[in-house]
Amino acid sequence: MKGIPLLILTIFLFSCQTLPLINSPVSPANEKALTCPSPFLKEKYRLVHAIETRVAGDTQSVIIGVTLADPSTRFVSCAIITAEGMVLFEAESGQDTLKVNRALPPFDSADFAKNMIEDIKLIFFTPEGKIQKKGNLPDGAAVCRYLEGNGDWIDVITDKSEGTAIKRYSSAGILKRHVKFNKTAGNIYQSIELQANEAFNYSLLMTLIEAQPVKNE
Amino acid sequence: MRTRCNLYIFVCIIGIFLVLGPLNYAGANDFEQLRKDSVKIKTIQAHFVQKKSMKILSRPLISEGRFYYVAPDSFRWEYFKPLRSIVIAYKNNTKRYIASGGKMVEDKTGGAQAMKIVLNEVAGWMSGKFDQNPSFAATINEGANTRITLTPAEKSMTGMIEKIEITLSKKTATVQSVKITESSNNFTQINFDNVEINKAINPSVFQDAQ
Repeated sequence: MKGIPLLILTIFLFSCQTLPLINSPVSPANEKALTCPSPFLKEKYRLVHAIETRVAGDTQSVIIGVTLADPSTRFVSCAIITAEGMVLFEAESGQDTLKVNRALPPFDSADFAKNMIEDIKLIFFTPEGKIQKKGNLPDGAAVCRYLEGNGDWIDVITDKSEGTAIKRYSSAGILKRHVKFNKTAGNIYQSIELQANEAFNYSLLMTLIEAQPVKNE
Repeated sequence: MRTRCNLYIFVCIIGIFLVLGPLNYAGANDFEQLRKDSVKIKTIQAHFVQKKSMKILSRPLISEGRFYYVAPDSFRWEYFKPLRSIVIAYKNNTKRYIASGGKMVEDKTGGAQAMKIVLNEVAGWMSGKFDQNPSFAATINEGANTRITLTPAEKSMTGMIEKIEITLSKKTATVQSVKITESSNNFTQINFDNVEINKAINPSVFQDAQ
């Protein structure tokens, strides 16, 4: 019986990952020379993904996500479409604006649009905040840590075996989002996994259908 | 629930008009004639190409699939690409399947109850009762081809579907296309080919999602 509280505590600790320590390179010069991983868009792109939603590892549904993202202006336009072609959600966001053009249940909640746009920007755009630290995580992975305007922390991580990842932590250091780019060669957006830690945890597995640079649009 | 309900209306509408395509519509402005002719249809199957157009897409998103129907109420609406998914209605049981990890798994976002409601509505359409469905107002226009236009009559569809246009070929007496307009720059065009009427369909088509 004594083992049960310990087990619960262990599960709790593992489920609430916190901001890890970064070991800085020995000399400041080495830290300055360290190149930050950048899995982010370099130009305006249109991406179409099949998005599989999972709760507790169980597949719930698959939808089509269309993203039009311009890193130079941080403009995002996005849509969620069913396989049958019905548009469930459509929104666009600039630097400080958010316009929802269409939102059918269950995508019509107040926070959904804001969270979705934030997730898209997390995946495709370089963080807006300043780099606070560069170095290595305890497991050896190279990392650059950004501090966002709202106090959140963003770690952009690259590891030879694990590939590239982005982790977003709250100002209190609680892990909120974990983005993994599963493809190390070819198009980095071929397979993306987003793990969200919310009131109920969920994950999205995004598989690229098509990607197209956008000129003069 | 409402979205799920409308999604299945969306799916079923497409199928319904494929079924009605081969009817003898010499007097097509006569809905009674459509009702009589619909009795002749026992099975139908067809290949389709779906083109989704909207402002965010520079070119239409193209999907491909196949449709099966056996009277009075068995459906299989299947997409092969870009996303494999299947809606099957069989013996008062309607399910949606999606591809995950190389196999087909049931969509767990619910809506089974909504699907039942929709299929009851669809049963009316299957009998050619266009002008008796309170959800849509139907009109028929004769020209080089025949065009049936449905416009939502109920507020529940407002903002979701603006209109549905079904084009029937006079020459081949089959449905050519269905266009579902959600808004002025957001529409879905489905073109049918290889339509086969009253050809035997293996019952496993409605039982096996693989």
